[in-house]
Amino acid sequence: MPDQKPETVRLTIDGTTVAVPKGTLVIEAARRVGVMIPHFCYHPKLKPDANCRMCLVEVEKMPKLQTACSTPVAEGMAVRTATTTVDDAHKSVLEFILANHPLDCPVCDQGGKCDLQDFSHQYTPTTSRFTETKRIFQKEYFSPLIETQMNRCVQCLRCVRYCDEIMDVKALAPVGRGTMTEIKHFGPHELDCEFCGGCIQICPVGAITSRLSMYEYRPWMLKRADTICTFCGDGCRITVQTKGNELIEVNSAHGAGRNNGDLCARGFFGFHASSDADRLTHPLIRREGKLVEATWEDALEYVAEQALRLKLAHSADAFGGLITSRCTNEDLYVFQKFMRQVIGTNRIDSSARYGHLNGVQALRRVQGTHRWTIAFEDIVAANALLLVGTNITETSPITGLKVKEAVKKRQASLVTMEALQPAIDTLSNITNLALQHFPTHPAQFGNTVLGLTKAVIEGNLVDATLAQQAPAFVQRLTSALQGISWENLEAVTGQTRTQWTETAKILAGANRLVILVGNGVLRHPGGDATVTNLLDLLILLGKLDKPGCGLGPLAEENNDQGAVEMGAVAEFFPGPAPLDDQPVRDRIATVWREELPRTPGASLTEMLAAANKGSLKALFVVGENPVGTLPAEAQAAEALGKLDLLVCQELFLTETAAMAHVVLPACSYMEKDGTFTNSEGHVQGVRQAINPVGDSRPDWEMFSALSVLMGSPLEYGDAREILKEIRTVIPGYGLLGPTPTPPKVDQAVLSGYLTQGFAGDAATRYAVSQPRQTGDGSFTLMFVQTLFHSGKLSTHSKGLLQLQQEGFLSINPEDAARLDLADGGQVKVSNSRGAITTTVKIRERVPAGLLWFPEHFDGEAKQLAEWTIDPRTQIPYFKLAHVSLAKVS
Amino acid sequence: MPKYEPILLKNMLQPGYTGSLAEYERAGGYQAIRKVLGKVSPADVTAVVMKSGLRGRGGAGFPTGVKWGFLPKDYQGPRYLCCNADESEPGTFKDRQLIERDPHQLLEGMLLACYAIGAASSYIYIRGEFVLGAKILEQAINEARAAGYVGKNIFGSNTTIDIWVHRGAGAYICGEETALLESLEGKRGLPRVKPPFPATHGLYNKPTVVNNVETLANLPHILNRGAEWFASIGSPPKSTGTRVFCVSGHVARPGNYEVPMGITFRELIYEQAGGMRSDKKLKAFIPGGASAPFLTPDHLDVKLDFESVALAGSMLGSGGVTVMEEGTDMVWAALRLMEFFYHESCGKCSPCREGSSWLVQIMRRIVNKRGQLADLETLTDLCKNIAGRTVCAFGDAEVSPILSTLKHWRHEYVAMIHAAEAANLIRPEPVGAKQ
Amino acid sequence: MLKETHKAEIDDILSRYPVKRSALLPLLYLAQREQGYITEAAMQEIAGLLKLTPPQVYETATFYTMLNLKPVGKFHLQVCKSLMCALVGSDTVIGWISAKLGIKPGETTPDRLFTLSIVECLAACGTGPMMQVNDDYYERLTEEKLDRILADLRQTGTCSLKTGPFMWPEPAPAKPGA
Ligand SMILES: Cc1cc2nc3c(=O)[nH]c(=O)nc-3n(C[C@H](O)[C@H](O)[C@H](O)COP(=O)(O)O)c2cc1C
Ligand code: SF4
Ligand code: FES
Repeated sequence: MPDQKPETVRLTIDGTTVAVPKGTLVIEAARRVGVMIPHFCYHPKLKPDANCRMCLVEVEKMPKLQTACSTPVAEGMAVRTATTTVDDAHKSVLEFILANHPLDCPVCDQGGKCDLQDFSHQYTPTTSRFTETKRIFQKEYFSPLIETQMNRCVQCLRCVRYCDEIMDVKALAPVGRGTMTEIKHFGPHELDCEFCGGCIQICPVGAITSRLSMYEYRPWMLKRADTICTFCGDGCRITVQTKGNELIEVNSAHGAGRNNGDLCARGFFGFHASSDADRLTHPLIRREGKLVEATWEDALEYVAEQALRLKLAHSADAFGGLITSRCTNEDLYVFQKFMRQVIGTNRIDSSARYGHLNGVQALRRVQGTHRWTIAFEDIVAANALLLVGTNITETSPITGLKVKEAVKKRQASLVTMEALQPAIDTLSNITNLALQHFPTHPAQFGNTVLGLTKAVIEGNLVDATLAQQAPAFVQRLTSALQGISWENLEAVTGQTRTQWTETAKILAGANRLVILVGNGVLRHPGGDATVTNLLDLLILLGKLDKPGCGLGPLAEENNDQGAVEMGAVAEFFPGPAPLDDQPVRDRIATVWREELPRTPGASLTEMLAAANKGSLKALFVVGENPVGTLPAEAQAAEALGKLDLLVCQELFLTETAAMAHVVLPACSYMEKDGTFTNSEGHVQGVRQAINPVGDSRPDWEMFSALSVLMGSPLEYGDAREILKEIRTVIPGYGLLGPTPTPPKVDQAVLSGYLTQGFAGDAATRYAVSQPRQTGDGSFTLMFVQTLFHSGKLSTHSKGLLQLQQEGFLSINPEDAARLDLADGGQVKVSNSRGAITTTVKIRERVPAGLLWFPEHFDGEAKQLAEWTIDPRTQIPYFKLAHVSLAKVS
Repeated sequence: MPKYEPILLKNMLQPGYTGSLAEYERAGGYQAIRKVLGKVSPADVTAVVMKSGLRGRGGAGFPTGVKWGFLPKDYQGPRYLCCNADESEPGTFKDRQLIERDPHQLLEGMLLACYAIGAASSYIYIRGEFVLGAKILEQAINEARAAGYVGKNIFGSNTTIDIWVHRGAGAYICGEETALLESLEGKRGLPRVKPPFPATHGLYNKPTVVNNVETLANLPHILNRGAEWFASIGSPPKSTGTRVFCVSGHVARPGNYEVPMGITFRELIYEQAGGMRSDKKLKAFIPGGASAPFLTPDHLDVKLDFESVALAGSMLGSGGVTVMEEGTDMVWAALRLMEFFYHESCGKCSPCREGSSWLVQIMRRIVNKRGQLADLETLTDLCKNIAGRTVCAFGDAEVSPILSTLKHWRHEYVAMIHAAEAANLIRPEPVGAKQ
Repeated sequence: MLKETHKAEIDDILSRYPVKRSALLPLLYLAQREQGYITEAAMQEIAGLLKLTPPQVYETATFYTMLNLKPVGKFHLQVCKSLMCALVGSDTVIGWISAKLGIKPGETTPDRLFTLSIVECLAACGTGPMMQVNDDYYERLTEEKLDRILADLRQTGTCSLKTGPFMWPEPAPAKPGA
């Protein structure tokens, strides 16, 4: 969103006048008037390289033909694309490009969607004059997921440029010179990279293709469905391509979705999770201690009967419900409505509890919104970006691309605070692009932010009007921070005063400042305080409500934001609105024609505790797996074991489902319609790509069916009808459109916060938090998300399993050397809670003293994790452990 | 006494001249920079060079002062000078001599250029094979640095000018100025799309001037003796000064001859270079390096200046004059050069990359008596389709041997093809893979 | 590791450029000087030193013909075969070498002493036929000269017939006592 209107330039293309912004390339100007200039190397995302020479056009007053892809428009320019000279040039360049091409279209996966085929067809060469011997490259194994056929390469270098300019990965090398140039990785090594699939997507011919679908299809056999990826909060638009009911390929078109056609490995290669052979295909009922196949009628009737019986015998509050934020808004909405209306309880929760709520609550408290006040476009247009607690490449890769674009293309200043070391390896590393990087221990985000706030105040960078408007706020923070010495902050965080001071200047000097907060903050104790303090920082700088400025918490799951907005958490009705918000309560009651329950909600941990005590009797679990994900200390298995009724709606027979009385097979996102709401609050359509696997059904349908059997029918014809109802409950919800209009800071809430709201916990928020002392080892073990997986769902995807199929311990080289650990060797990781043996992976990007373990494979390892529950927010934290290491020989 | 007063070769023609700092200074070296440093404004130095009419000796012949004038005037950041010592154009071997025999003459030229354009750092991009040249330059720079002529506060002024030697590693294309910059930045030597030109976006995207060794070596003399003096030499107004012509091939005395521009090829070949090596007559010559179209005995009276050679359908280029005697197989000669271009095409542009391999294959077939008459049509066509349609001038260069030999000696191609037809050997022959 | 054995030289190289990547060719040369060719480990190390990915180093290394990614013989004979040298007999020189050493272009003698390569113009067109052996030029080659060069290289590792500082035609010799 540039601040000024760009200058326009008028030119003619084949006689047609067109006005375009200054700086536009001729090829784009021509596109505006419907003139498609043939090209290979040009791509709107990439800097022009003009190497293929296919786009030659005549420009009046220029003696030679010019490449339309690299020539910017000029006032009064006259471009001709349809003359004989131009046509001859196109033909001849095409002839050159085809000279060494193997013309193996019949066995090429690109056949039918290939630029080379299309242009050849357009220019109808009759016979080839090339009778010489074609150049031949030896076939080399490239990688488990990506196939190269270099004989087909037209050397446009789009793949190489994409990998560098957009992804910042730089894994592809054009090797050799002249006609013998081929795209490789490093020497004879197979490709090791982010596997974003970008090279496959951007290759105009069939030189780089996906091995997952090799030789399985011809493009015209495929059916397409545009839907949204389910593997993180970024909400990328994907096009799922199917043959019959088989998932063949996923891609994403340039210009499509919030991701603008870019994807990560999960989005591009992870789609097979839905067609994994382990999918549940039939309802299961526990009979004589064993889960046996049953019909839908039997299973649903069984659940309805038991539920009615238990409700009669106990109260509605003997029930609980837990749902995954991977579900659609429609599923989430019907789930909470079922729990509230059919059962009559507010005791429900979702996986947004694990961290996303920390962000939402802070936004609500300070600025009165539950959503970002910024959008992806603001990230790209930012002058300065502050990333706190997010290894963004691995957790929110596409938001990460927006950050990269801001830095690489628009020279934004990037500041990162993360438990990450700037190091170059096979994955991009956002800290490499940072102007200032604070390598932050996972327990030190709060203190590191304090240092920044202190530097802003002491550097006289506080917004002048704020000091007048909210003197109490400024004074309180000033005095609190004066009470904290730089020495103390430096000692606990390991950062330096100079760096804080420098950074404060960068942030204060930026017109457009965006702060992004990730799960390094959100999923750790003190998360909501740190987010609140970051909002304070924006306020102090006078930027909270400035255009292009704002703070965005990054959602971990694809519909965390939707789960909160649908009211699928203990503290909110749809909206989200607090349970005591009478007008909302009334509005919903009118739509539902039913009073809403008045009893308090219960979070996941409260429900587990209640089950353990015996006061919770029945639990509906949708796609969540507390037994498989929570550490032993959470006592999930014990708690669920005591239930009279455990109903699981699942894709797979998880540890939790294995304990259930009834297991109902659910549809994955590939098999249903609905909407997801991404991190930035963009509501997007999910479209069915394949028929439900086995007898599986969408989650909402199961609740709908149960409600009928239980005598309070919630009937909907399809997901659209549900969305319609959501819209009446939350006015304006889910208007699918190109760009969301981010909500604005609610000035009333803000002034309330500045006069009083901030004060209650200011003392605790503005105090140095001391590191927890544990008797355990000196290493801090972090259970982290990795780029190649998403929760445990992706561990069912055959493509992603080829990239990462088990847990391993990432360790800094110096630590490894000290303990004599070799890459690939075995190590014993232990603390007072237990011990595991795993494989060592040495990675420079892991800061000294820290260890990373992928949470997707935490199995045995998670017993090591510390378990704490925030008494106020009920958020459970279990992503850290203190451990000792010992080499296993 | 030579017929013409040598300028660039003057010192080295002195018996026993070693090119050391002391000797260079004894011969009047480092006077020009002393004369201008802090006394003549950079703009005035540029004006003198502009007035002298000095044109680039690297190949394109662009007026040096004009090129300097393209640098942004008000730009505050760093600017760079790059000395193009890549000397890779077949037939050219003058820069090697200028470097190895009188390194300080080049260094002084660089100091003057840096001063004029406001560059504090400069690099000599020298072709990797010139190991000795690089060593000699390093030594000379060390001497100059020790004397306070290079580095911080040169000659006691407050001007800083550093010079570094940067070795290429075997790639003809790195002589092209933007490929040179890419290479100097540690990348593959692929030419950049122009505009933007190096003058505004050069090394590290900063304003940069790239000048050839010989161009730079002229500067001390121009500033010592004045623009008028220089402009009076050669073939004014457009081709002023001398040039060091590199004569190779079938002459009696191949070598470097510094003569004023404007003498005829006849004089250069028959007087300077001693005429033909045997009693065989001259059959063909290349006037300006491998990229320049071949000329015939009919062109012996063409003058060696930019315009006259261009008028004769070729170019003065880098000053490499290669002479061929009667009996030289012109198809074979064209193939040799074509093989060079095929080997050296960087591979960026489709027409150049694919065209060079295609042309080589056809030419090999013809030379190996497997050609067809239709091949000549194809050759001409392909050449026309390459020229003018590529990023850099290499595309134009690579087609000139074939086009010009086809123009003057088509009958030799035809004879070979007839021989092929007679032997009935028409079938494609595989080419060996490029190393 | 080059970092340990050549720290001062590496620091010196790095100090010449405002952008690290520029040091790539110099460092590749350093690696080649140390091991005779550029090993994968060296490319990896250089990538680390310059904050590049190994593929970035690799793509550059493979562009330039003087950088060897495979071992070559102790003496790398590189004969220019471009037109100017060919006019004065470079093909004959190649024939001589092939016959004398029993290797074809691109091959290395079994004792790993000599590798024969055919290269394009080395800017010695007026003094052809010529060849470069490692760092040195040998010009105006004749069969006798070639025999002596090969013999000397075998015996002493170098040969006084190497040429340069270059000047052709050669200047008059210095007058004694002047
Ligand atoms: C393919 C190609 C190769 C070139 N090789 C050289 C070279 O080896 N040495 C050189 O000085 N200029 C070479 N040039 C010319 C340079 O691009 C550039 O014009 C020159 O360095 C500018 O210096 P000058 O103005 O002093 O001549 C080459 C140009 C092309 C297109
Ligand atoms: S014309 Fe040839 S050498 Fe020049 S950039 Fe294009 S491909 Fe490279
Ligand atoms: S699209 Fe313009 S040169 Fe390739």
